[in-house]
Amino acid sequence: MELQLTPVWFIALPLLVAFASPLWVRLQLLMPLLFAVPLLLLVLAISLVPVVRAAPLLETIVIAPPLGIHLHLDAAALVMLILFNLAGALMAAFLWLGDTEPYLRGRQPFILIMLLITGCTGMVLTGDLFNLYVFLEIAGVSAYALSALRRDRGALEAGLKYLIIGSVAAVFFLFAVVLIYLQTGQLNMAAVASDFAGIPAPMQALIGLLLLVGLGIKAELFPFNFWVPDIYRGSDPATAALFSGILVKAFIFVLFHLVFLLLADPDVARAWLMGLGALTMLVAELVALRQQDLRRMLAYSSLGQVGLIVLALGFASEATTAGALFHMVNHTLVKLLLFFVAALMLRRVLSLRLGDLHGIGHRMPVATGLFVLGSLAVLGLPPLSGFISKLWILKGFAAAQLFWPIALILLAALIEAAYYFRWIKVFYDTDPAKAHPGIMAGPVQGAPVYLPLLLIGGLLLLFGVAPFLLEVSFVEGAQSLLAREATLEQVLGARL
Amino acid sequence: MLEFLDSPGVLQGIYITGSLTLFFIGLYGLLAKRHLLKVLISLAVMEMSVYLLFVGLATSPGETAPILADGLATFTGMADPVPQALTLTAIVIGMAVLALGVSLAVQYHRLTGNADIRAMSELKDS
Repeated sequence: MELQLTPVWFIALPLLVAFASPLWVRLQLLMPLLFAVPLLLLVLAISLVPVVRAAPLLETIVIAPPLGIHLHLDAAALVMLILFNLAGALMAAFLWLGDTEPYLRGRQPFILIMLLITGCTGMVLTGDLFNLYVFLEIAGVSAYALSALRRDRGALEAGLKYLIIGSVAAVFFLFAVVLIYLQTGQLNMAAVASDFAGIPAPMQALIGLLLLVGLGIKAELFPFNFWVPDIYRGSDPATAALFSGILVKAFIFVLFHLVFLLLADPDVARAWLMGLGALTMLVAELVALRQQDLRRMLAYSSLGQVGLIVLALGFASEATTAGALFHMVNHTLVKLLLFFVAALMLRRVLSLRLGDLHGIGHRMPVATGLFVLGSLAVLGLPPLSGFISKLWILKGFAAAQLFWPIALILLAALIEAAYYFRWIKVFYDTDPAKAHPGIMAGPVQGAPVYLPLLLIGGLLLLFGVAPFLLEVSFVEGAQSLLAREATLEQVLGARL
Repeated sequence: MLEFLDSPGVLQGIYITGSLTLFFIGLYGLLAKRHLLKVLISLAVMEMSVYLLFVGLATSPGETAPILADGLATFTGMADPVPQALTLTAIVIGMAVLALGVSLAVQYHRLTGNADIRAMSELKDS
């Protein structure tokens, strides 16, 4: 029997490997597998690029003829899959090669990281609203448990807060799904989309609002993102990298997938989403200015970038959408890099407060150098990839003769420069009097742990110098994300 | 005398009012209560109200369970099975999340002796 390379493997393989974990413990294969599975799926995803370019892959897992779960792998979803599995592999490599804390090496984190990646992949792939809810909860529950892994006061507090706010979001989302089912009798996204215009307008508004609150909390949009810095501060930095790099991206993708699919005319939501994106960006960047803890600063910076991505996606033109997809990839890589550096500094200094990090650049030159590289990529300086993605977004707005977002994005970049350089200045401070007495309490980190970080740095440079390598994928992703009619036709045609 | 309660309109009105009331009771508890367990209970109440609304509105009086047994041979006059299957799934998920939440709350209380959600300030920037 030949194994078919269908989209379901992206969900099934990590699930199977996660649930067989007692076996891997016995064989001492936990860390190698945590690295190998995302890598294998990454290779599979890249090998599917030419197939998906010809036509999106549809797969219906049939229970009985009218009932079934439907997976939809188009160009945009494929970009996300490649990104998630790349991030998963990098994260695993970082945990494997480094002097990682024991609570991040055992069976529990193995299962939780696998499930988090599965949940995010499932959310991106699924074509069924209730299935989306299930994957949302899989990703959610593993994220709550991951942030509480350290089991000390801060971690438990972060886990509890995350669980409460995440469950509220899930209830709102479930409420919206229930109302959609009661109104249309459908759960398949494409079928719902073709019936959505028939729902009475007040009910449409209520469903939209419930979806916006539910997914807005999960995708960390203003004003639903007050909880984010606490969670990132309380979780381990490596875990926070996973949240900022994979989880948020999956929720942003889901939010916009639903908006583009359900609404025949995206103008209705455009003003709302662009406004929320712009507000998220500005508020987060301003608050980031005065943070005293590196993790909180990075959390606010992450929110700022999320705002930028939402602003660009909300405009829903092909150029800004392609730019936003590129920026998602960049931001994932950058935040992985910055949070990994934060994790290394935490292991060495045992604190991430601004006052305790004076002069760390002289003791950990490679890590701090990579931090500077990551900061420059966030700011969007050439020749790093952040420059290209921001340029695409700005060009998209300029082509549409819309100038307020351009002004806001540039202003946000200025504020970003201010706070990133504030931290970098402290890192390279030469005044020995200011150095914290407890500095360098932790052990020196070995060289192999820098491999994934250097790889990320290399990718940032590569995509900055040679963006044409990826351009086709992002443009096709944007086209497939925006092509509502074609998607409906493919799915409904395939189902009939 | 109470037959009017069986008419679908009245029945659905009762379901909607009841479950929305529950939903807002849950929301109130979530925002106003300070004890961790009470917050978690409020969450469960909110979830429950959504399940009730779903099952209540998706079935109408007189429909039977969609099971072919006891002499029934065709699917006539049967309730739509999808909402019930979905609600069951959602109950299981909600249960799991609640269990995780309670276990974290218990651990947190053992560690700190604190169960007040507003006293959780470890993560704030001072």
